Amino acid sequence: MTFSKLRSAGILLSFLLFIFLLTSCGPNRLDDYSDESFELVNQDGESVTFPDDFQGSPLVVGFIYTNCPDICSFITANVRKIYNADTYPEGTQFALITFDPERDRPDVLKSYAAAFEMDRDPFHFLTGSPDEIEKLMNRVNVRKAVSSEQTTDSGKSIYFLSHSDKILLIDSQSRLVFDYGGSMTPVDIVAEDLGKL
Amino acid sequence: MKALTGILFTLTVLLFLTSCQQESNNQTNGELMQGEGIEVSDAWARPGAEGRMSAAYFLISNFNSEDDVLTNVETDVAQTAEVHESYEREEGMIGMRAVPQLDVPAQSSVRFEQGGLHVMLMDLTQQLSEGDTFQLTLTFQSGDSVAVDVPVRL
Repeated sequence: MTFSKLRSAGILLSFLLFIFLLTSCGPNRLDDYSDESFELVNQDGESVTFPDDFQGSPLVVGFIYTNCPDICSFITANVRKIYNADTYPEGTQFALITFDPERDRPDVLKSYAAAFEMDRDPFHFLTGSPDEIEKLMNRVNVRKAVSSEQTTDSGKSIYFLSHSDKILLIDSQSRLVFDYGGSMTPVDIVAEDLGKL
Repeated sequence: MKALTGILFTLTVLLFLTSCQQESNNQTNGELMQGEGIEVSDAWARPGAEGRMSAAYFLISNFNSEDDVLTNVETDVAQTAEVHESYEREEGMIGMRAVPQLDVPAQSSVRFEQGGLHVMLMDLTQQLSEGDTFQLTLTFQSGDSVAVDVPVRL
């Protein structure tokens, strides 16, 4: 092999190494939702297409139901605390999507959002038809099952759900970058990861 | 060299064992010996919308020499208040179950915390927002009753 061929091979190897280093920097993508499209409704009754309407901005998204007092309020508060940490890229959006669309209609989500002082931009509380929500939850691997039912002292019947505990970070191209235990992961870790997007 | 390897191995095993110990809701510490009766401290609750849910958390300390049982919880801000417990079910799902009676052993404390024991406030009679405070009354089998102020926060 001549010297010039060796030099060409060296340049090619350097180039490949450079490309490898470029692609290996930054977080890996766990999934890609860019080809998906789910028709949802926000707390104001406005149509929202997920994830299309959030493309171009990083998105923090948690999954909740409003009759859940412990874990889901923990997830909601964590999303709010990630926002409060103020380490997110400009334009970042924050969404909470219910997996209990039969009960969590827009007006219910609105009062829930108001209690957490999150009934404003950049927060979005989303519901939809039961079929659409089921398709979305299947796609993002959020599961639920009725765990128990009871009647309150005022005679109101309430059922409770066992469910996944999840917060996702989705990049501006609708790709899943991080998947956390929604109530378990320290907020500063999520905020730090969000800063990397 | 063998001695050093042995020490390192022992330290690794100890570290593994201590890190794998499950956290318990029951705690006992020396400070409890200095109190009196039953005390409820560190109370707080999540925001919640009227007609919906919230949860309250606190620490119960039983300084008595007799075991006790938490039998009832009452508040004006919810139609129903009950002790519940979140727990991890199969495949990472989180479930919840009622705890009708909760043991509070003598000279011990029981912590209510997120993802574990909590007082579930069902069918709220008013919106609970950050900065609000309400009263919760805990009744025990011994006849003791403790009223505590509960601030609402994120």
